[in-house]
Amino acid sequence: MTTLIDRYVYTVLRRVPEQQRTDIERELRASIDDAVEARVGAGDASDAATEQTLLELGDPDRLADGYAERPQYLIGPEFYPTWTRLTRTLLLTVLPIVVTVIVVVGVLEEGATFGSVLGSAIGSALTVAAHMVFWTTGVIWLLERTGSAAGPVLGRRPWTPADLPKYEPGRITAVELVGTLLWPVLVIVGLVLQQFTFTDVPVLDPANWTFWWPYFIGVMILEVGYGIWLFRGQAWNHTVTAVNAAIGVLFAAPLVWLVTTDRFFNPQFLAGLHWGDVDPDRWLTFGTLAATVIGTVWGVIDVALRAERARRGRPGQVPGTAPMI
Amino acid sequence: MTMDATLSSHLQELRRGTVVVASLTVLRTPGYGYSLLETLSAAGFEVEANTLYPLLRRLETQGLLTSSWNTDEARPRKFYRTTEQGDAIAGALRDEWSRLDHAVAGLDTPTGTTTGSDQ
Repeated sequence: MTTLIDRYVYTVLRRVPEQQRTDIERELRASIDDAVEARVGAGDASDAATEQTLLELGDPDRLADGYAERPQYLIGPEFYPTWTRLTRTLLLTVLPIVVTVIVVVGVLEEGATFGSVLGSAIGSALTVAAHMVFWTTGVIWLLERTGSAAGPVLGRRPWTPADLPKYEPGRITAVELVGTLLWPVLVIVGLVLQQFTFTDVPVLDPANWTFWWPYFIGVMILEVGYGIWLFRGQAWNHTVTAVNAAIGVLFAAPLVWLVTTDRFFNPQFLAGLHWGDVDPDRWLTFGTLAATVIGTVWGVIDVALRAERARRGRPGQVPGTAPMI
Repeated sequence: MTMDATLSSHLQELRRGTVVVASLTVLRTPGYGYSLLETLSAAGFEVEANTLYPLLRRLETQGLLTSSWNTDEARPRKFYRTTEQGDAIAGALRDEWSRLDHAVAGLDTPTGTTTGSDQ
């Protein structure tokens, strides 16, 4: 029969590394026996003495954590800031983009209705969010347990005052850089993926792989270079406005031409769409034109406004505060 | 948080390192887990068995204590003993303790003789 003490000791040992078990068991049993003996010597009944001793030793799982020197938390203070920053960025920046892409793809899907698109948007938002939080937490949990040797992997180095954001008018912030880089990356990934996944036949005309699709990828790589150039010491100014406008035209002009001359969408894809009374070709053409023109014009105006604001010395927006009017 | 809870959390914070100094000091003469527990609580240290036992093993891993099994008696016991390094560290910790004690006492004296105030 197992005694109360056996049960206690086994419960502790269960959660202790195997190579330490024999030693801890002998020591723990001796300590418990000593304490029980002392209580009996002081006049307690044997059962009561045992129970009181175990009660004082407390929760065996906690004792085991003490022996195993396991951290009793998921993410400690060292990695907590990294975790919050990463989770925030993923949920506030990446998640909306992913959901937007899913919605766009859903709209292009055959037989899409408002309800089905909304449903898949909500469903995928929840799934993607859960994945983001889960994997971030998982990776940081692992780093926490593998020791700070893994710290440099995350690019962590001691903080210095030089790391403070420069709240100068016209400076380009890291958030703006991420925003600038995300767009070209998404376009390139989207362009390549639409050929193989998303739909049964490619959405865009595969004939353009001979020149125009690689051309757009080239323009997007240029955009990445532009983003990095901006971030490395560039401020918002009129040169930036001009470069940004040039890239916008390089992207938008051929796109508009391709759309209006019916070389943009895959004819096979258009033939597969049945939207009732509505002609998919007309609406997609119109939608793409409108999005391209409005997006490009907005991009140019946005950068021009920033440059103008910086020139006049109006302070840039402090991240996390209400936007300046 | 109530006043009592606040006090007890601050007390706990203040006492945290004292068990290490006390154990390293006491174990200059070899002792086993339960005997040390008794000695410490008789000396006025509030320490729980479930904190002390893992702590002893941790100090051993750090090389501040050594241990050997004594099987002469009916009940085999693991005896710990402070190493030279452990003794040196305990000495440094005790010095720091009395330095802090002086510093706190200095702050507490009503007429600030030690501070260069503008009086």
